[in-house]
Amino acid sequence: MLLYILRRLVLLVPMLLGLTLLLFIVARVLPGDPVGLAAGPNATPELIARMKQEFGLDQPLPLQYWDYLTGLVSGDWGMSVFTRRPVFADILEYLPATLELVFAALLIAIIVGIPLGLLTAVYRNGVLDYATRTVALGGIAMPRFFLGLLLQMAFAAWLDILPLSGRYPLIESPPEHVTGLYTIDAIIAGDWYAFQIALSHLALPAIAMALSPLATIMRMMRASTIEVLQQDYVMTERALGLSNRLILFKYVLKNAMTSTLTVIGLYVSWLLGGTVLVETVFDWPGLGLYATQAILTQDFMPVIGVTLVIAIIYLITMLVVDLLYGVFNPKVRYA
Amino acid sequence: MTQPSIPVAIPKRTQSARLENWSRAFYRFRQSWLSVIGLAIVVALIVIAILAPWIVPHPEHVAGGTNTAARFQPPSAIAWFGTNALGQDMFSLVLVGSQVSLFSGLAVVFIAIAVGTVVGAIAGYFGGWIDEILMRITDLLLTIPSLILAMAVAAALGTGVWNMIIAISITWWPAYARLVRGEVIVKKEEQFVVAAHALGANWARILGKHILPNIVSPIVIKASLDMGFAILTVASLGFVGIGVKPPTPEWGTLLSGARSYMPDYWWTAVAPGIAIFLAVLAFNLLGDGLRDVLDPKARR
Repeated sequence: MLLYILRRLVLLVPMLLGLTLLLFIVARVLPGDPVGLAAGPNATPELIARMKQEFGLDQPLPLQYWDYLTGLVSGDWGMSVFTRRPVFADILEYLPATLELVFAALLIAIIVGIPLGLLTAVYRNGVLDYATRTVALGGIAMPRFFLGLLLQMAFAAWLDILPLSGRYPLIESPPEHVTGLYTIDAIIAGDWYAFQIALSHLALPAIAMALSPLATIMRMMRASTIEVLQQDYVMTERALGLSNRLILFKYVLKNAMTSTLTVIGLYVSWLLGGTVLVETVFDWPGLGLYATQAILTQDFMPVIGVTLVIAIIYLITMLVVDLLYGVFNPKVRYA
Repeated sequence: MTQPSIPVAIPKRTQSARLENWSRAFYRFRQSWLSVIGLAIVVALIVIAILAPWIVPHPEHVAGGTNTAARFQPPSAIAWFGTNALGQDMFSLVLVGSQVSLFSGLAVVFIAIAVGTVVGAIAGYFGGWIDEILMRITDLLLTIPSLILAMAVAAALGTGVWNMIIAISITWWPAYARLVRGEVIVKKEEQFVVAAHALGANWARILGKHILPNIVSPIVIKASLDMGFAILTVASLGFVGIGVKPPTPEWGTLLSGARSYMPDYWWTAVAPGIAIFLAVLAFNLLGDGLRDVLDPKARR
């Protein structure tokens, strides 16, 4: 098991090497002109040449890549041409906000989606089943950014019970930095007032992001539960007189979880990449907003950095999902 | 001794075999009324997109004309979806917006299928190091968050419908390459491929004439399910301000323009938002229906 984890982690290295190379080539081949944009419309050719030299853009491409690679290991992820801030420090600053949002959305999707899927599978073709299936169909088709706007309209503007946007009011000071996730930091500090503020800001964007994964997880859970319920061993258990609850929670749930797990794993990447949209709607100061700003100024170092971070998180999630298969299904062996 | 004639009742065909196949397929499709609704909305959207130049009530607004005297009119009998900050009729803009969305959605899926099929077929058929290299590139592209990559490429290429289509296609073909590769690997071991090989057919003929026609179904199923998400991605790029620029009306761009006037002038956002939602929903329903027809085993 430990050996398996180690081997998978070692295999990540060539994957990430390839990824940096690919991103680097894409970034340099594209016809953007970040330095020209950053220097402004009145920049003299000398200024542009000086800036190019400053950021090492005048060097041949392989040398630039080598510099970037050696930098990556020591925590130097390049510098933004536009803001002149180091990319790594920026990412560390924006990552917790995005992670908080993604975790919250995933948590909502899982704790609502899995029980709902289980319930609708057991009470198939009932009123609840039809109602949730209809909502699920809509939930998958609903654009996150439009849902976000509608939620803002309903809860912030008309009902006026939740804040419109942002992560934390500027006039208040956020809880002491431990994890960077304000809700968790507030709990650690025991500051319930801060927790309340953080949660009220988190609620709407998290719900806007959660709807689509919720619908998919529910559908997946429903389908796999129905499949498992038709297995012979379930009938055997029924014949043995086990209670429905015991059958469902002890035997069916575990087996139905495996395929749902894959979906949840895939959604981590989808959520991380998709924060761009929800963060734009809610002015949430996370990686997505950071990446959007960098993209609009064609500032490629931050874009490569953000993409790399998301890819790393995605690859690690897939590893965790593979490990979790073993928890739900002991037949899975790691060789 | 004469053979006693046994009366055999041969069922009379009223339709040709091909027609019968089609009507059976349509019967299966009709079984789910949700797919029928999806088909109806999709057909309506296509008709609207084609007829848009003739049925739009205010073509001058679509061309970029403004009427600031009538800005922010709420929905009424004259302007069904109200007017926006420039006094443009939202109904006209949303109607014409269907053109960009449908066209780019279709184009993305077609390019993705074309590139993905070529890469996947070559990788699957030849195997070995060709397969290894092509699939590693595919895997790498699949780990990159597709929306961010599409945004970055679109921004670098500059605004315009085609640049946006190319940018999204770059992130979409790997999924098709994986699918086609898997199907080709299975099909190339079949007897008819061995037979074609024995007859001296070269690889291009075997792939094009014998293998690819047999793997059309899974590609069509994936494509029809993907159409909705392609439209959604187009709208997403428009929403973050990359892709199609005004005055070309595009649903995502319209929605992003309406954002600053929320919630007082809610109709400027609700009309394009519902348009995106309906289009995505309709293609998803249609895709589900097509899957039921083409792949009956996957029916739930």
